[in-house]
Amino acid sequence: MPSFTRPASRVAIVRSGSYDRDLGALLFEALREFDLPVGGKKVLLKPNFVEPDADGIINTHPAVVGAARETFLRLGARSVQVAEGPGHERDTEGIVETIRLRDFLGPLPGLFVDLNLDEVRAVNLRTRASKLKQLYLPRTVLEADFIVSLPKLKTHHWVGATLSLKNMFGIVPGCCYGWPKNVLHWAGITPSILDINSTVRPDFAIVDGIIGMEGNGPIQGSPKPSGVLILGDDPVAVDATCARVMGLAPERIDYLAKAGALLGHLKPEKIRQLGESVASVRTPYAVLPAFSKLIAVNGK
Amino acid sequence: MTSSPLRDSYCREFLITHQNPDGGWGYHRASPSAVEATGWALTAFISSQQAPVPAQLCARARDWLLQAQRSDGSWPPFPGLPQGCWATSIASLALNLQGGAQTAVERGLHWLLNEWPAEGTLWRRLRHKLFPSRVVGQDNSLRGWNWTPGTASWVEPTAHALLFLRSLPPQMLPPQAAKRRQLAERMLFDRMCPGGGWNSGNPLVYGVAGMPRIGPTAWALLALSGHAERPEIQMSLHWLEGAYRTIHGPASLALAQRCLTAYGRRVSQVAPTLDELYSQNHFFGDVLTTAWVMLALNENGNGATPTAGETATL
Repeated sequence: MPSFTRPASRVAIVRSGSYDRDLGALLFEALREFDLPVGGKKVLLKPNFVEPDADGIINTHPAVVGAARETFLRLGARSVQVAEGPGHERDTEGIVETIRLRDFLGPLPGLFVDLNLDEVRAVNLRTRASKLKQLYLPRTVLEADFIVSLPKLKTHHWVGATLSLKNMFGIVPGCCYGWPKNVLHWAGITPSILDINSTVRPDFAIVDGIIGMEGNGPIQGSPKPSGVLILGDDPVAVDATCARVMGLAPERIDYLAKAGALLGHLKPEKIRQLGESVASVRTPYAVLPAFSKLIAVNGK
Repeated sequence: MTSSPLRDSYCREFLITHQNPDGGWGYHRASPSAVEATGWALTAFISSQQAPVPAQLCARARDWLLQAQRSDGSWPPFPGLPQGCWATSIASLALNLQGGAQTAVERGLHWLLNEWPAEGTLWRRLRHKLFPSRVVGQDNSLRGWNWTPGTASWVEPTAHALLFLRSLPPQMLPPQAAKRRQLAERMLFDRMCPGGGWNSGNPLVYGVAGMPRIGPTAWALLALSGHAERPEIQMSLHWLEGAYRTIHGPASLALAQRCLTAYGRRVSQVAPTLDELYSQNHFFGDVLTTAWVMLALNENGNGATPTAGETATL
């Protein structure tokens, strides 16, 4: 559905200063307002797990993943799986054990799926932003009824910021494309983001911005306590809101600007803001000099 | 060779039980047969010296691999996918170790020697010379192998191809193989992270040193074992030994153990152990991890393990 025909999107900003709070209760309260059609559905949570990082800076915090799972179950989901296909690291179990995902989810076999090694099916891409035309994608993703992109709020040294749209690179299986999934880089990161999200558009996004990453993200940046969870029913609107919270102009982030024409809403007037206002939680993120043009001046 | 309940009871039994009826292995039990999973599972059995090699099982795996080979000599990740990939090195290595498939191995070798990564085109090299990248600090004229055609060189597929080349008798190697191997080894040294070790292939981005990772480091070290005397190798072994205790994943631990053992470093009693990591999630029922663990526990990994004392000129 082109953006101009879409109804206004809804994005909520929820404050949480730490991962020790009852995030399940916070998320449940926030998500109830969205009245999501998840009753009896197979929900898939797609966090951003990149590297074995015990410090909790690089990856979506497991407390947020656990809270999201608990929330969707409380909302009536039939099942809630967690799935990720890290881009560079083949040892996915090493990542989830380093970040102690088991402590927040319980036993992982059957619950967590390594998308890099899942069964695959050929899927024709719905747009032709890149030259790819077709990708092999994991069965777990294709069979989910409701997909939630669950990234961390981070800067990115190739595209400026990595949020819920860029997070979907993780559904592309390493078993077909390698580690990294270099075919996406050669096809162009921006067009690949657009093609993947037009084909497997997340139904919802929850961004872990309790502690984000600034500077040389998405791996070697610095922790940036921001104290927020940003969530909504339109990944473009969520990412645009995240960028504004980071002090960046979403219109200047190439893939977001293009996604605003294709996949969702970028403009504030088309985003119904729930919870906190952007201004009240804005936390300017440092970016690499190559991305200084993304910094918003007077909110633009 | 010491006995290992994990190797003998779990790994071996798991792989025997979960070989697909078509002769291949999927990445998980009951999933469609995949070339990489089949290649490593077959290699694990062939390399096993503590128990008789299950001949029928290996023959079925070999036949499956032979059927999966494409007409151009390459192997795709799964049969039916439209192009060959890095799994060609792994399938060729396994078939070479197994024996009885020389033509298929030669065709795989031919494809690999003629498959060049995309950063090496004349246009790209010229552009790189005129406008050197200020983002990544690496020499793109040094080329190894890619994961998939039309993409760039990366550490792991380059290491896999080098291990396959090493497994072949010299008389089987055409003249261009030596040049290709030399170039790939130089590429690996160029991509080493400052301070030792490797990540997937970006040692320096925006002037910031990349962080090494266990898997790529182990593969690169195995592939470069003919250069054990070089300071880069010693530095990287030192990094790997230091990082060993921080490993939480069985795939990484298996690769690290296999690599350090191949260089004569004894780590089998050092925590964490593969048995401890097995208890976490039973390897998620992952065939590849199970095969790598079996290879690590075999101690004398055949063929895929480096040949001590081998030298090469850089």
